[in-house]
Amino acid sequence: MTLNEQLKTIIIEELNLEDVTVEEIEDDAPLFGEGLELDSLDAVELVVQVQKHFGVEIKDIEEGRMAFESINALRHFIEERMTP
Amino acid sequence: MQQTDKQETDKKQHQWTGRNLGTRFGHNIFYALIHLGGKRLGYFALHWVVLYYVLCRPSVRRRSYPYLHHRFPKQRLLTRYVTCYRMFLEMGRVLVDRAILGIMGADKMKFTIHGRQELLELVEKNHGFILLMSHVGCWQVAVSALNFLKVPVNLLLEQEEDNIDRHYVNYADATSLIQIIDPGSYLGGTLLMLDVLKKGEVVCMMGDRVFGSEKSCLLVDFLGENVPFPFSAFKIASATGAPIVVFFSYKTGYDSYTLKVAKIIHVPRNLGRSGESFRPYVTQFVDELELYTREYPYQFFNFYNMWQ
Repeated sequence: MTLNEQLKTIIIEELNLEDVTVEEIEDDAPLFGEGLELDSLDAVELVVQVQKHFGVEIKDIEEGRMAFESINALRHFIEERMTP
Repeated sequence: MQQTDKQETDKKQHQWTGRNLGTRFGHNIFYALIHLGGKRLGYFALHWVVLYYVLCRPSVRRRSYPYLHHRFPKQRLLTRYVTCYRMFLEMGRVLVDRAILGIMGADKMKFTIHGRQELLELVEKNHGFILLMSHVGCWQVAVSALNFLKVPVNLLLEQEEDNIDRHYVNYADATSLIQIIDPGSYLGGTLLMLDVLKKGEVVCMMGDRVFGSEKSCLLVDFLGENVPFPFSAFKIASATGAPIVVFFSYKTGYDSYTLKVAKIIHVPRNLGRSGESFRPYVTQFVDELELYTREYPYQFFNFYNMWQ
């Protein structure tokens, strides 16, 4: 499973997205504002899940803005911080 | 979804917001009266303004009815006019007080703080905490009295031009540690809240008003019927480990207020996404709020039908 697929699975399972499959989530689509219809409290949950699964902390609003742009952006954000 | 949050917020604003409490012009007249004649003149003018609203503005008077009906279910029409007058008068006094606070400073008020030591101990732990307040008493007075904590207090407050809650902040002392988080900002300001809590700061929000989507609410019994209460604060507390401090203010005299830590709620970590997980904790807050309305029935200032 690629990191993108892993992220999509986490989003679907941990945020309880009904009627959404991994294939339906586009890599470049925005996570918030349109498409997945995630709201501000989902952002809180996503911050927690990213830390829980990858040990990566989204420290402030600027990092959040960057990481939550899309699945690709989130993957990039995590990879950058996981690299030793 | 931010757009959805905004639409829901807009819908709510049609029901009631700070801007429904008279026009900016009306508030400015009171500010001018206070400048000219001090608090006594402000209070004197208030009696007549309140009387006018109770007798001549039924649409305004009716805004108090949903609450009064639930708090005093057996009340007759004439008594309802009297309780409505008392409630509007208390509201007006609080508005004058907060204008005094802005214009003349916090030293014009006397505060008694119950739970001061508990608050200082929480600050000492440096994990931050969420001050969960309500539209009761005068939350501006409560916030202004928190300088002794010596950490920034981040107030979740809408930044619209005509929101009168903003007037106080505009007038507030420049040395104040109050900072504003706009719920209309990126992701409702939630990431900023997580950020400041991590720094050991205080986040202050209202537990009785829905910001954003109603998805973030739970129906909880309040004065005999279900009302939607937001669980956002509890979700953030669960994500960060920050405790929730239920903090109320009471006007207890001409120039005195009592501020009270009503309860400290520790929400377990990582409770998940479902609102139901937060029900026991939201209920604790609502129980405290109900207790408040039993003790100070005329200082509860939500002038819309919460039970709708």
